[in-house]
Amino acid sequence: MTATRIDRGSNEKTTIYSDGGDLTFERTFDAPREQVWKAFTDPNLVPRWWGPHGTTTTVVEMDVRPGGSWRYVSRGPDREEVTFYGEYLKVDPPKGFEWTFMFDVEGVGPMGGPETFTFEEVDGKTKVTSVGRMGSVEALEGALASGMVKGAVETWDRLEALLAKG
Amino acid sequence: MQQPDPLSTTFAALADPTRRAILARLARGEASVKDLSEPFDMSQPAISKHLRVLERAGLIEQSRQAQWRPRRLRAGPLRDIADWVDQYRRHWEESFERLDDYLRELQDIQEQGKGADDDRDQNRPG
Repeated sequence: MTATRIDRGSNEKTTIYSDGGDLTFERTFDAPREQVWKAFTDPNLVPRWWGPHGTTTTVVEMDVRPGGSWRYVSRGPDREEVTFYGEYLKVDPPKGFEWTFMFDVEGVGPMGGPETFTFEEVDGKTKVTSVGRMGSVEALEGALASGMVKGAVETWDRLEALLAKG
Repeated sequence: MQQPDPLSTTFAALADPTRRAILARLARGEASVKDLSEPFDMSQPAISKHLRVLERAGLIEQSRQAQWRPRRLRAGPLRDIADWVDQYRRHWEESFERLDDYLRELQDIQEQGKGADDDRDQNRPG
């Protein structure tokens, strides 16, 4: 990709990087593309994997076609509810889709933006790439700069070191 | 809504390197406008302008205790942004892990030649 691509904490399985105002996740799954497509677009399958560990998800609405709405309600192990919602923008089975991905952040309001999912079949496996458009480069930089100080906001020394890099 | 949402205001404030440096300085403790303008080779009015942006974003506040009204850092908005990015990252990282587990399970079931409880439009040789 381009020189603006910056790693954002990839691990051995998932590659995470930012490029301009986009935040990208890449991971290859050991399954055929049709199955991955179904996992993302079948309301019965989404609850099996959606959300962090320990999350229970209910698909309230899921109209997989351009202009169609979707809404999932997730309940975490702490019993806190998060609603994810948006609208399908492009649907191209089984190659991928684009939707708006929104969720409400307490004290802030709705956050999110368009997200594109691309499913590529490679040797019987499927590479999934999700690209979330977080808005401007500045917005993403600002978000990540402070995202990385999570837990450090009370520890001003660490915050200082991080901000000083800016 | 008459004003931009709070997070956008915070992002805009954080987008500038001088303002991030000011926050870094304030992370060490409160400081006056004069203290803050020294390392930046900037006039005090120019620094004051940056301080106003940071103040509007709720990232800093003026201490009313001392005559020289030092500025100090406020943690709230930074925590809001950190929470948002954290939630987003954690959502996809962990969802992908769970999806991986689920797809593996499906593969195993198929390879054993049993049918999974969902659909079967992929006929993979066992």
